[in-house]
Amino acid sequence: MTLAIETSGLTKTYNGRTRALDGVDLSVDQAEVFAFLGPNGSGKTTLMRILTTQFRPTSGEARAFGLDVVRRGAEVRSMIGYVPQETSVWLDITGRENLLVYSKIYGVPRSRRVERIEDAISAMGLEEVAERMVKTYSGGMTRRLEIAAALLVKPRILFLDEPTIGLDPSARKAVWESLTAFKRECETTVFFNTHYMDEADHYSDEIAIISRGRIVKSGTPGELKRSLHGEILQLRFNSSHHQNQNQNGFDERALGRIKDLDLVRDAALCGSRLDIFVEDGERALPLVIEALRSEGVTFERISTARPTLDDVFLRYAGPLSSGRGGDGR
Amino acid sequence: MTSTAEDSLREMFAMIELEMRRLRHDRTEIYTRAIQPILWLAVFGSVMSEVRGIPTGGIPYIDYITPGVLLQSTIFVSVFYGLTIVWERETGILKRLLVAPASRSATVIGRSIASGVRAVVQALIIFPVAILLGVKFVPNPIYIVAAFIVLFLVSGGFAAISIFVASLMKTRERFMGLGQALIMPLFFASNALYPIELMPPALQYVALVNPLTYAVDAVRGLLISGDLSNLAVDVAAILVFDVLIFAVASVSFKKIIE
Repeated sequence: MTLAIETSGLTKTYNGRTRALDGVDLSVDQAEVFAFLGPNGSGKTTLMRILTTQFRPTSGEARAFGLDVVRRGAEVRSMIGYVPQETSVWLDITGRENLLVYSKIYGVPRSRRVERIEDAISAMGLEEVAERMVKTYSGGMTRRLEIAAALLVKPRILFLDEPTIGLDPSARKAVWESLTAFKRECETTVFFNTHYMDEADHYSDEIAIISRGRIVKSGTPGELKRSLHGEILQLRFNSSHHQNQNQNGFDERALGRIKDLDLVRDAALCGSRLDIFVEDGERALPLVIEALRSEGVTFERISTARPTLDDVFLRYAGPLSSGRGGDGR
Repeated sequence: MTSTAEDSLREMFAMIELEMRRLRHDRTEIYTRAIQPILWLAVFGSVMSEVRGIPTGGIPYIDYITPGVLLQSTIFVSVFYGLTIVWERETGILKRLLVAPASRSATVIGRSIASGVRAVVQALIIFPVAILLGVKFVPNPIYIVAAFIVLFLVSGGFAAISIFVASLMKTRERFMGLGQALIMPLFFASNALYPIELMPPALQYVALVNPLTYAVDAVRGLLISGDLSNLAVDVAAILVFDVLIFAVASVSFKKIIE
């Protein structure tokens, strides 16, 4: 199967000095929602502007559905939709007029124009505001109109640069609900940049983290979180039960048994709470429960403390990351 | 599979449509911009008519300067069109246009032509006011239409200059400064207000390479004097100017995006 996006050894140097991308290798499957995470100035926007044919890489290659973005830029442009980070609609005409002008600029055939505009308006839930001047729109509505304009060409890949930046939580949710519904219907590949971890976590199939122009980690949201090896199962015992136990005998034995389980790396008893460090909580939990049951231990509550994507981001892209090492600057 | 030429042509028309739609929603700017040229005609023109110090070849002075004033007002529109480009650069619109199927030069030419259309609308507002002020136009509709085509061609060229300047001056403030510094000297160093022969020799050379001189001459021939003997040369000069500046602006336009 052809990959939707594929890059190899991509670099971009500005003015012969500032190295924005430093050897990016990336592959994005078709119909996938791909989140590209990175701190400000890490090269996210540069990569997107190369993939959308706005400028050329200094070296390396990038392809969209097998087409080289430099040599076959025109063909690439005809199959992608792109929403830049900044406002990209005209404020002094109505929403529908914006879509009409964009449909002509993008070359939507005359016979399909009305239908495509209607589809885009309904996909983004803009029916009620389409005839209003865009300057009266809220931030979330404007963003949905911008996405609607990108949908006019029925893109095979939709590029979104920080799609929800500056929006309040309910507007963010509305944008993503519309996008998810559209995605379900059209099987479009979605590639977005963000630094909202929760968005990447909830809405993406795959994530890559970029730091100082290099991809430092990629995988599914679950894989990335598991890669920190930090999941903790916390079991709270019934306190009366705990007092009745012979602490040195029974609990020590149970603890030893837990520690010996596969998937468990360590365990520690803190008062009435047992902390178990595991690699994969979802798989370890049944084993732990079974072991404790067979020891006759009852407990009141289990909770898991998972590393969040924020932890992942800080680990790989944060100031303590080793991303800088050996890039020869 | 559509060709780039077709895509480019379509983008140009879409840009014109965009300008017309903007104008339909808000015409305030067109009206406020009409005030200054009307003052040129009503005050400067009427007063200088009384002086009779400038050899106009028997034409009333107010009639003599009407072509120049029409051109000045359209060029104002064009030159400040670059501000729209600067604004669009600050927003994401330009990025988006770069990802459209049309070629980059089509974006430049399309925007320039759209600005030309806006400029012609501006002139259309001043035109009836000039008639009310007693300016006598050549009563030939073909001549009048031809004059507006000349206005349109010149305005498009100046819009391209403006896009070129916008690609160098990437902020509004710098752009405003240069825009102001450009228009009035061009106006004074042309035959808009007085014949070139009255100028000091050095300035005469400036006037000869000033595209406004040829435009004024063509529009004056078509609208006021009816003398078309220079028309071919004037139009040729304007077309050369347009082609050159479109090429320069298209090349420099790449800079505006990075």
